[in-house]
Amino acid sequence: MRVYLLQRLITAFLTLFGMSVVIFVLLRLVPENIVDILFASAGFVNPAAKEEISRELGLDQPIPVQYGRWLRDLTRGDLGKSYRYDVPAWQVIKPRLPVTAELAVLALLVAVFLGVPSGVLSAVRQDSLLDYVLRIVGLAGLSMPSFWLGMVIILFLVSWTGWIPSMIYVSPFEDLKAHLLQFLFPALAVGYRSSALIMRITRSSMLDVLREDYVRTAWAKGQRQWVVVFGHALANATLPVVTVIGIEFAFMIGGLVVTETVFNLPGVARYLVDAILWRDYPIVQNLVMFIAIVVVLANLTVDLLYGWLDPRIRYGTR
Amino acid sequence: MEWRIWTFVVCGILTLLPGSAADSAQTPKSGGVLNATLIEAPPSFSIHDETTISAVWPTMPCYNNLVLFDPLKKQEDLSTIIGELAERWSWQDEGKSLVFFLRKDVKWHDGQPFTSKDVKHTFDTVREVEGVTAKLRVNPRKLWYENVMSIDARDPYAVTFRLKRAQPSLLLMLASGYAPVYPSHVPVPELRTKCVGTGPFKLKEYRQGELIEFVRNPDYFVRGRPYLDGIRYTIIKERGTRYSALQAGRQDIPFPWEVAKTIAETTRRALPQLVLVEASTNVNDHIIVNFRRPLFKDPKIWKAINLAVDRKGYIQAGRQGAAVIGGVMLPKPYGVWGLPEAEQMKLPGFGDPAKQKAEAKKLLAEAGFGPSKPLKIAVSTRAIPIYVDIASYIIDQLKQVGIEATLEQVETGVWHPKMSRGEFEVALNLTGIGPDDPDANFYENFKCGSLRNYPGYCNEEIDSLIEKQSQTADQKKRLQLVNDLDKRLQLDGARLMLGWSKEYLVTWPHVKNLIPHQSIYNYGRMQEVWLDK
Repeated sequence: MRVYLLQRLITAFLTLFGMSVVIFVLLRLVPENIVDILFASAGFVNPAAKEEISRELGLDQPIPVQYGRWLRDLTRGDLGKSYRYDVPAWQVIKPRLPVTAELAVLALLVAVFLGVPSGVLSAVRQDSLLDYVLRIVGLAGLSMPSFWLGMVIILFLVSWTGWIPSMIYVSPFEDLKAHLLQFLFPALAVGYRSSALIMRITRSSMLDVLREDYVRTAWAKGQRQWVVVFGHALANATLPVVTVIGIEFAFMIGGLVVTETVFNLPGVARYLVDAILWRDYPIVQNLVMFIAIVVVLANLTVDLLYGWLDPRIRYGTR
Repeated sequence: MEWRIWTFVVCGILTLLPGSAADSAQTPKSGGVLNATLIEAPPSFSIHDETTISAVWPTMPCYNNLVLFDPLKKQEDLSTIIGELAERWSWQDEGKSLVFFLRKDVKWHDGQPFTSKDVKHTFDTVREVEGVTAKLRVNPRKLWYENVMSIDARDPYAVTFRLKRAQPSLLLMLASGYAPVYPSHVPVPELRTKCVGTGPFKLKEYRQGELIEFVRNPDYFVRGRPYLDGIRYTIIKERGTRYSALQAGRQDIPFPWEVAKTIAETTRRALPQLVLVEASTNVNDHIIVNFRRPLFKDPKIWKAINLAVDRKGYIQAGRQGAAVIGGVMLPKPYGVWGLPEAEQMKLPGFGDPAKQKAEAKKLLAEAGFGPSKPLKIAVSTRAIPIYVDIASYIIDQLKQVGIEATLEQVETGVWHPKMSRGEFEVALNLTGIGPDDPDANFYENFKCGSLRNYPGYCNEEIDSLIEKQSQTADQKKRLQLVNDLDKRLQLDGARLMLGWSKEYLVTWPHVKNLIPHQSIYNYGRMQEVWLDK
């Protein structure tokens, strides 16, 4: 186990190092930088002033030097300064992290609590009316982009109730009800799409397991339905479901851009797009690294969960 | 029974009266927080560094100017300028000195007293006077103050702008939202991230990219102002969400300028009680031909391009009806200096579309282009929907006279550097002008060698006319000169003018005294705004 964990951590480190190079190089390949954008919005170009700002921001240095400085600062816990807002990058990123994390967790909870039970029900009642209804609902979830669903929810709310959630972030310590209402609808919009995927994976995995001999034996022994379904079948059908949940969570962190924009939630995903448009390198680099770390950790967690869910799986042995 | 009918009739007539008349009859109420909308975060709080309405609109409540266009009058001109930090002003030395007599009861938001030193510091910084260490990151309006020779602040409560020559427009530029006075005791770079002004509102909180919150300045020097307890600017990036928030009553006012006519009408249909006000933006749409290119040495080519475009069609197709035909200066009734419509319609490009297109074909044939040898050009524009919409319309019009035009979409970050370097053939461009003032427009866009003179147009005779109108104190004579210049510039093809866009401000009826001007940059102070709740 220790050897396996060490191997995975080394792989994770190398992946993150590779990511840092890719992010850094790709950003510099995008035409123009913050200085060009500053003058673009001013409607003129003053070469002397442009050179001075470039020097001030360190953009006049060769790219390998800029990369080296970024990595050096990163290891010291210094994320640099936002080019756009002229304040430490951490000051801009910090309040946004809990927003995105909370939305992702809530959306995942919605997805799991909707997706797993409906997948189980659908498998147990295969080819019944309930199965067809659940499959149609699931397919609809997969077909609808969450931002579109978000927009429809907002329009529905404003048209039918004349109310929409707060446009300003409400802290749970300030007003818990308003806070929950603010996150409920985006979590539903994102969670519904993911629940559809989880439901379909759960269903197909359950159908495979329900045909196994040991399940048939359990039925023959006269065990109660919930014991057979949840105790024997679901426990053994969870591996692919857990994999999908892990991937979905990682995807959510980076993929909430449009949902955060539609519901006006001040999360990292929405801010990342802004930072890319402004070529705010310190913000983009550090946010993408943060997303990469979440993805790597989510994958690692899922892999470690396999061993716990299925005792037959052993780590670090051939 | 009859009195009831009469009461009903009288009430009906009263409700049909224009909103502004009703507003003025009402006694303003103090209190409440105005929920305003922003479409993006301001790049910084330093207005002198910025060129976007996204910076001016939410920062204006924090600052004061020496003078300002009266927020309660919708048309801006010399007669609507009122004092802010200056109690009064006077022109001296035959218009070569402008003296401001300052208020003595003004304090900065951090408690420091305001004096003439702050005025000198601000405008010497913008002018980049030798020896001044304070420096703006980007200094887009240095040109506005080029005629200022020196600023004298020997008296703490009087300041004199000494000019190289008379320039009545200086007062108009100082009345723009782009001319706030900065505190001399706060380093200029710090003003990019915080706001220390003398204005009616103090910055309470700024959550980057999310919210800017102001509270009433209790020490404000205008007694009884502001009426509001505060202003909350919420940044809502998604347009659909912005209008849903307005409809749901979360927001009281939208962001000025961005409201398209169709959106305004749809929102109002959903909620008929909303107030819809149509105003000008002081932004014009035009075609630029690059005079540095050999192709345009033959005037027949750009004249043909000018004649090919149906201006009324541009308003309908390019702007969905939300624009007016005009020349180089904003036309009446929105602007003060524009050509009368009858004169504008006599100019090439504004006549009968069919006849003009025939004439354009003839000019092209004379220049050696025709069906067997079509003229091929690239029309560059910014990759922003409104630019692309208008450019697509232009390309269609050019095709109708046999010009094979292709669209080149240029990313915003690359647009101005490309234009400044003259890396284009023909371009569709939009230009916003701070105050509705000939100097602000002519010097920036038409003078030989100006940084924003993208077509490379240069005419010394026009330059001297620009100088002449700038020095003319008599407004009637100046208007005549400006009108002549407008015609000359259009006849020379300095910019092939299409028209001027309009904005639609949709607000809740309880928002009072927010009166759009002909320029979006100058009415964001919010000192007079109140809520009838």
